[in-house]
Amino acid sequence: MPLRRGIRSIAGAVAIVATTAAAPAAAQEQPPAAGRAAILEQAQTEKASALRPYEPDKVEDILNRVEKVLVRGMHLHPFFVSAYSGGGFTIGAGYLRHVSAYNTLDLRGSYTFSGYKRLEAEFVAPRLFNRRGAMTVTGGWREATQVGFYGLGTENTSANDRSNYAFDQPYGSATVDFWPARKLLLMRGGLELSTWNTAPGGGTAKSVDEVYTAATLPGLGAAPTYLHSAATIALDSRPAPGYARRGSFFGVTYHDFHDQGGQFGFNRLDYEATQHVPIFKETWVLSLHARTELAVGANGQAVPYFMLPALGGGSNLRGFPSWRFRDLNSLLLQAEWRVIGSRLVDMALFYDAGRVAARRQDLTSAPLKSDYGVGFRLHGRVATPLRIEIAHSNEGFRLVFSSKAPF
Amino acid sequence: MRLAPAIFVALAAVLAGQPATQRFFADDPLAREPESQDASGALAADVGLFYDIAFDLFATSRRDSAGVRARNANTIDEVPDSSWFTNRILARPIPLDELARGPNTGPAPNPERWVFVREKSVGASPGFTATDASGETWFLTFDPPAHAEAATGAMVVASKFFWALGYNQVETFITTVDPRRLTIDPAATMRRPNGKKTPVRESDLDAIFERAARNADGTYRAAAGRMLKGKVLGPFRYEGTRPDDPNDVIDHEHRRELRALRVFGAWTNLTDLKSGNTIDTLVTVNGRSVVRHYLQDVGSTFGIGANGPHDWDEGFEYLYQGIASRKRLLTLGLALSPWQTADYPDYPSIGRFESDKFDPLTWKPHAPTTGYMEMQPDDAFWAARRVAAFDDASIRAMVHAGQYSDPAAEAYLATTMMRRRDKIARAYLGAVNPIVNPRLSAGGDLTFDNAAVAAGAGTAPAGYHSEWRQFDNRSGETRPLGVARGTGPLLNAPRPLPSNPGDFVEIDAWSDGTSPARLHFRRTADGWTLVGLDRRAAAPTTATPTAERRRQ
Repeated sequence: MPLRRGIRSIAGAVAIVATTAAAPAAAQEQPPAAGRAAILEQAQTEKASALRPYEPDKVEDILNRVEKVLVRGMHLHPFFVSAYSGGGFTIGAGYLRHVSAYNTLDLRGSYTFSGYKRLEAEFVAPRLFNRRGAMTVTGGWREATQVGFYGLGTENTSANDRSNYAFDQPYGSATVDFWPARKLLLMRGGLELSTWNTAPGGGTAKSVDEVYTAATLPGLGAAPTYLHSAATIALDSRPAPGYARRGSFFGVTYHDFHDQGGQFGFNRLDYEATQHVPIFKETWVLSLHARTELAVGANGQAVPYFMLPALGGGSNLRGFPSWRFRDLNSLLLQAEWRVIGSRLVDMALFYDAGRVAARRQDLTSAPLKSDYGVGFRLHGRVATPLRIEIAHSNEGFRLVFSSKAPF
Repeated sequence: MRLAPAIFVALAAVLAGQPATQRFFADDPLAREPESQDASGALAADVGLFYDIAFDLFATSRRDSAGVRARNANTIDEVPDSSWFTNRILARPIPLDELARGPNTGPAPNPERWVFVREKSVGASPGFTATDASGETWFLTFDPPAHAEAATGAMVVASKFFWALGYNQVETFITTVDPRRLTIDPAATMRRPNGKKTPVRESDLDAIFERAARNADGTYRAAAGRMLKGKVLGPFRYEGTRPDDPNDVIDHEHRRELRALRVFGAWTNLTDLKSGNTIDTLVTVNGRSVVRHYLQDVGSTFGIGANGPHDWDEGFEYLYQGIASRKRLLTLGLALSPWQTADYPDYPSIGRFESDKFDPLTWKPHAPTTGYMEMQPDDAFWAARRVAAFDDASIRAMVHAGQYSDPAAEAYLATTMMRRRDKIARAYLGAVNPIVNPRLSAGGDLTFDNAAVAAGAGTAPAGYHSEWRQFDNRSGETRPLGVARGTGPLLNAPRPLPSNPGDFVEIDAWSDGTSPARLHFRRTADGWTLVGLDRRAAAPTTATPTAERRRQ
């Protein structure tokens, strides 16, 4: 490294000067002509003839580049969001650029080894209404080739009942977040237009059309086009949604899925509550999460099977496969006992429970399906870029990899 | 990361007086490092935050100390004045009003009106650069919303402490900013996320004030740092030297004042020791350009950081400390670390700062600097003497300068500083031979003080031992003069000492249980002058005292 070489050469010069300055004096047995300051001055004179600007070594240069990317954001960036939950390991990339001082446009795509694909463009305006609002506009297309369907209900289904369906979906949406007081109270409204083109599923399981008929499974073979509107009101006191050790989120969201064909329209009401309780100087954090989704057909229309509330997967019932349980209503309860290892590393013991039911009153009338497990997270102050968990349920073990917090 | 062998040879020869032949020069002990060359060619260079922290956290923390004496310590174990350091505390009595004034020499800002001229370029705390009603430029920093007076108080108080300790400090005042009397310089711009600079708007100021503690009258308390004179060159590095500064010939990690930040940082809980909080400036002194080195931002002290109180483990662990993290994770958090049982009183203006669990020997910054890793016992002793030199009144005077509105908070901060001071004295003053201020009378009476005893960090030893030798400064050879013992800090020469000007005597002095300090005195026309003091001296050369020590 150039710096070290420079230091050595200067140090060598100083050494020579120091020793030679003393030796003649000793030999002649005369009082030393040079003083301590003179030695330093000589070294400074020597160095003055070899000055150069500072040059970072390779390690510093690389880390400086990393910082530049982290601070200014990556134009070319990884993208790990699959087309749909359950697609397996995902690879993807995006290209983000600012289109104005704060607004960004991101073009991105992902692919999973099971053939799920997503291509989309997202425009984000993070500073609207005098920093009280943000808008996200997204348009794209995605395809999922083997989404699991295990039947309706909780107890009367089995992991062995899996069948698969596929769909592809063009979509366009706009969402506006509004914080009237810039914190705590959140109001969100969104509009989405999309078409769900369902098709027979691939993969090793039977295709859903081999097991069900349109009469026994509402929505089989359908391709509804939805105008989906949603409105949320919430109180959010978490320091950041992506990583929090304290604070809470309490929110209600109303969805209206209006089927342009008039067959599969429905409404859904979501209630969600999250509370993080730091214990003993954040040695531990008790994190609790509850969510219920209540769907009902609009004006006698049916809720298609692929739009039903569902449980199972890496962020809810983690010991079960994605989409393991589906029905008109779902209830999810989660608790985590998080151990704070450091400002960068956490682990968590977790317990998830939930069930789905056709009737709301049945959500709590029978035992919940549950799992437990342990997880490891790398995190910063506002995000959890890596979460690895192993969960166990009565259906076995499941390994979870994720790039976001579970709740 | 081992330094080149040449540097050991070189630096040993420079200040500490260890050449193969002549030991002491006529100008020993050096009182000031010379700056003989013009440094006007020094260029501004930054130190990346990511590199700064990541390298220290994962590379410097694994560094093996070279185990060498500080290279800028002079022959009597002191640090000469330099562009880095000025001897203040211990070197002279400092009146309380001067301590309270600290580095401030000019007038305080005139807050009648402010003009925003520039956004903050570094640091996470809310703030900006502005000119006051007198047209002077200041760097303004505000308090986090839930911790009024905390960040501003810490910046001001810490600047007093570090100035008194000897470091170059920015003049820092408490002031107020009234947004109603704040205007924006039409030329002021702000860098946006897209990388472009655009004019500053009122909403930009709103965003800054939103993150700051607001007074009841709508104003904001701020710490105002006066703009430094000279050309700003960016941070200094804790390792190596500036390749563009001809006067910078001593590796920074072997500068005692930078090593000593391990002790001073522990005392004040200055956890954010990164290079980014330092700054070099190019100034003109006696018609020559020289680089002056500042600890620019000492605001992350006591219990407060840029945006709120210190994290619970600050001062106890690095940002990431593998062993402690693994221990906590593997025991599900049941293996408690000291910070977890620390009691932090609820003073929002102080933050998380305490003295009961504080251990100077295990204190840690966010990430260790090379100076932190290279600190030797004699460096720590040197630093601890300075810490111990602040009496209670001095500490109260400097803390009072923080203008805390809660007297209880101010008292708590002062008391905690006193308790931490006492712990530092106990930890370090007895760890090496604590003999200080040795004097040798013309008649041969050696007197000295015991720093540990003087600071109340140790009890007076039962007795002192000494070995006396005539010393040939040209050859380094010695001739025994005898041994002497005493019950107190007075040892009489065992026989008449040489009396010709230019003669030297070498004395190893120690008390029971300590290793010897090696003293050198030079005979002058007026008597004996101390020219050498080394607390890392080898064992005595004669058998008798050693045998005595073994028996004891």
